[in-house]
Amino acid sequence: MFRYVDCIDAGTEYCPCHLAEKGECIICSQLRGKNFCDCLNWKGTCIYEEFIWNNKKAKRIREFKEFTIENKRLIRDDLLLLQVSVNPYLAKQLNNIGSYVFLKKPGSPLCFATPVSIMDSDIKNNLITMVVKILGVKTKDLLECKDKVELKGPYWNGIQGQIFLKNLKGNEILIVARGVAAAPCVMAAKKLIKANNKIIVVLEKGRGNGNFAKERFKSLGCEVYDVNMINYNDYSLSEEFKNLLLELIKKNNFKVTISGGSDEFHRLYLNFVYALDKSLKFATVNNAIITCGEGICGSCEVKLDRGIIKSCKQQYNPAEVFINLRGEGRK
Amino acid sequence: MKVVVIGGGWAGCAAALQAKKCGAEVILIERTDLLLGLGNVGGIIRNNGRFTAAEEMIALGAGDLFQIADRCARHKNVDFPGHKHATLYDVNIIEAEVRKYLYSMGINILFEKRVVDVEMEGKSIKSVYLHDGTEIEGDVFIETTGSTGPIGNCLRYGNGCSMCILRCPSYGPRISISMRAGVEDLQGLRSDESFGAMSGSCKLEKDSLSKEIREKLDRDGVVVIPVPKEDINMDKLNIKVCQQYALKEFAENIVLLDTGHAKLMTSYYPLEKLRKIPGFERVRFIDPYSGGKANSIRYLSMAPRDNHMKVIGVDNLFVGGEKSGLFVGHTEAIVTGTLAGYNAVRLGIGLNLVELPSTLAVGDIIKFENENKKTLDGLKQRYTFAGAVYFERMKQLDLYTTDIEKIRKKVDGLLLRDFFKNRII
Repeated sequence: MFRYVDCIDAGTEYCPCHLAEKGECIICSQLRGKNFCDCLNWKGTCIYEEFIWNNKKAKRIREFKEFTIENKRLIRDDLLLLQVSVNPYLAKQLNNIGSYVFLKKPGSPLCFATPVSIMDSDIKNNLITMVVKILGVKTKDLLECKDKVELKGPYWNGIQGQIFLKNLKGNEILIVARGVAAAPCVMAAKKLIKANNKIIVVLEKGRGNGNFAKERFKSLGCEVYDVNMINYNDYSLSEEFKNLLLELIKKNNFKVTISGGSDEFHRLYLNFVYALDKSLKFATVNNAIITCGEGICGSCEVKLDRGIIKSCKQQYNPAEVFINLRGEGRK
Repeated sequence: MKVVVIGGGWAGCAAALQAKKCGAEVILIERTDLLLGLGNVGGIIRNNGRFTAAEEMIALGAGDLFQIADRCARHKNVDFPGHKHATLYDVNIIEAEVRKYLYSMGINILFEKRVVDVEMEGKSIKSVYLHDGTEIEGDVFIETTGSTGPIGNCLRYGNGCSMCILRCPSYGPRISISMRAGVEDLQGLRSDESFGAMSGSCKLEKDSLSKEIREKLDRDGVVVIPVPKEDINMDKLNIKVCQQYALKEFAENIVLLDTGHAKLMTSYYPLEKLRKIPGFERVRFIDPYSGGKANSIRYLSMAPRDNHMKVIGVDNLFVGGEKSGLFVGHTEAIVTGTLAGYNAVRLGIGLNLVELPSTLAVGDIIKFENENKKTLDGLKQRYTFAGAVYFERMKQLDLYTTDIEKIRKKVDGLLLRDFFKNRII
């Protein structure tokens, strides 16, 4: 199986980072204590060279800055829509698949910082749109924001399997999303449609009037279906959902599918569609507990046979994580 | 029987060509948009013992690439300090000629595809992966990825990326396939036991030189100009990969050879200093672009091999060129690459592997380098028919001759005439 090693920050202005400084770079062998080059994923720049030319120091880390909240309203009892006016740099940098930022209430301690996916970034008006599910301490604190919010970014690893979404042109892509995980899928759909891909979206009907992102997907030109995806008595995929998937996969020639849901949902969904089409590639919304976003704190680590993935900035192949490929993978 | 060759330098071209001549299906995977690798800035053949080696290969039936190089010659029978009867091929036309020939032989070449990993089955390679995840299966694999670069190595062991013909920033770095298959790389040493060696020549834009120098280069193929006394730097000879050119004369003189560009026989030369020399007032580097400060670093990635060119520790991987040892140059790459290509096919169809006889220089060098590499001193040597320790050995063992008839008779006597021409599948 292809060993997919990628750091989303590699080659950006945030590279080399503190991992490189401490001999823990995800990509570069020389910055992992080895004596010779054994580059794990060339992204157009030599990280070792950047490090040496930067006086053997990490580049400056992202920092919190205060921005103005332009729009803040509950779109369901537990879903907060936030629109924040940012600078042109952030608006542009966040207008990418998998973008996320850390948010916290001005003045709250750093431990209140919570990662939030970008649903849309309007680069003309420098306005970013996010949806936050009010779940616990951090998000309840965020709910208390008045007209300002502290924001740290940009980060890009909100979607795993981005290699399969790159350079897609004129293909058919299936997005399956539930709840708040639909937000990063809207950004993905927007970017993929710009590259002339056809997007079919299946959304969980859920409570109330369907998914909050339904109209956004429609206005982007996606074909949208509403279903109940899960049998909650045994947490399995519903017959209605499975039949729709069978029909859609038969009718379309999907290269990639994006799964927006919990890890438990990713596992159910990916295994089901993989059994139908072994050539299908996967991208998944990143559900790891992300605390620092810099690969340092360790809260987002995913354990694979081949080692630990720092999933706040490191990419993995979702098939490797969620599909039981034992015997086919590298040992 | 499918042979996958990784790396399209001189060694890879020779390996692919030989495997094809033996009857295998061959795919050659090249990282950049050019074949020949560093051969695109080489140009010196048939100097000293390389003449013998080239004629031995022609008699053995593996003369195809030598004949192309001969056809692309700008100058024949050139002498320059320490070297006799060199042929200088035109680096500006030879790649297209080799490419055309390989296509005409039915070799499938993938350009701008970089091999980054292997899929193993026990101790055999089942397939290789390209950078985009594409899997390419094969029966036998030949690695001719060289030992030069990439950027991090050139920085750590040299003066940084010099923007050489390998163009790592554009096409991505060389990956050691044997290492991905679980075999630790070997490294060459300098006299002070630091790793690697620096490429030994730069290319100057001919049109930036004075009319007199240009005319002399076009006429004679060689120009020798004394270096200003204050700029003579003997230390630079020690870091040089090409020990055959690490002679006092090359420190005390500017030696230019006409290979299409003006080949300057030194690793790098500060531009300001170079422009002080009469006739060099407007001079510019054409390879490496930063030849004023650096050159590429080599010999950091050799695989342990046997004398059949098979990698020790992997059942179906062969090596040629610099990947296979401390060899220098086009001739050495073609010799080792050809044997790798030949034995790859033999292994693929279940035949015993062959060694080239020690009574020929082309067989002796393969064994001599392998034996010597086991010692620390041996790791500090470079092995070339053109000079240094191996050319001395050729002379001692009476392997060196420019008598073509004598070479042919010797090969006939070994019953090896046109050995490499035989289809074995």
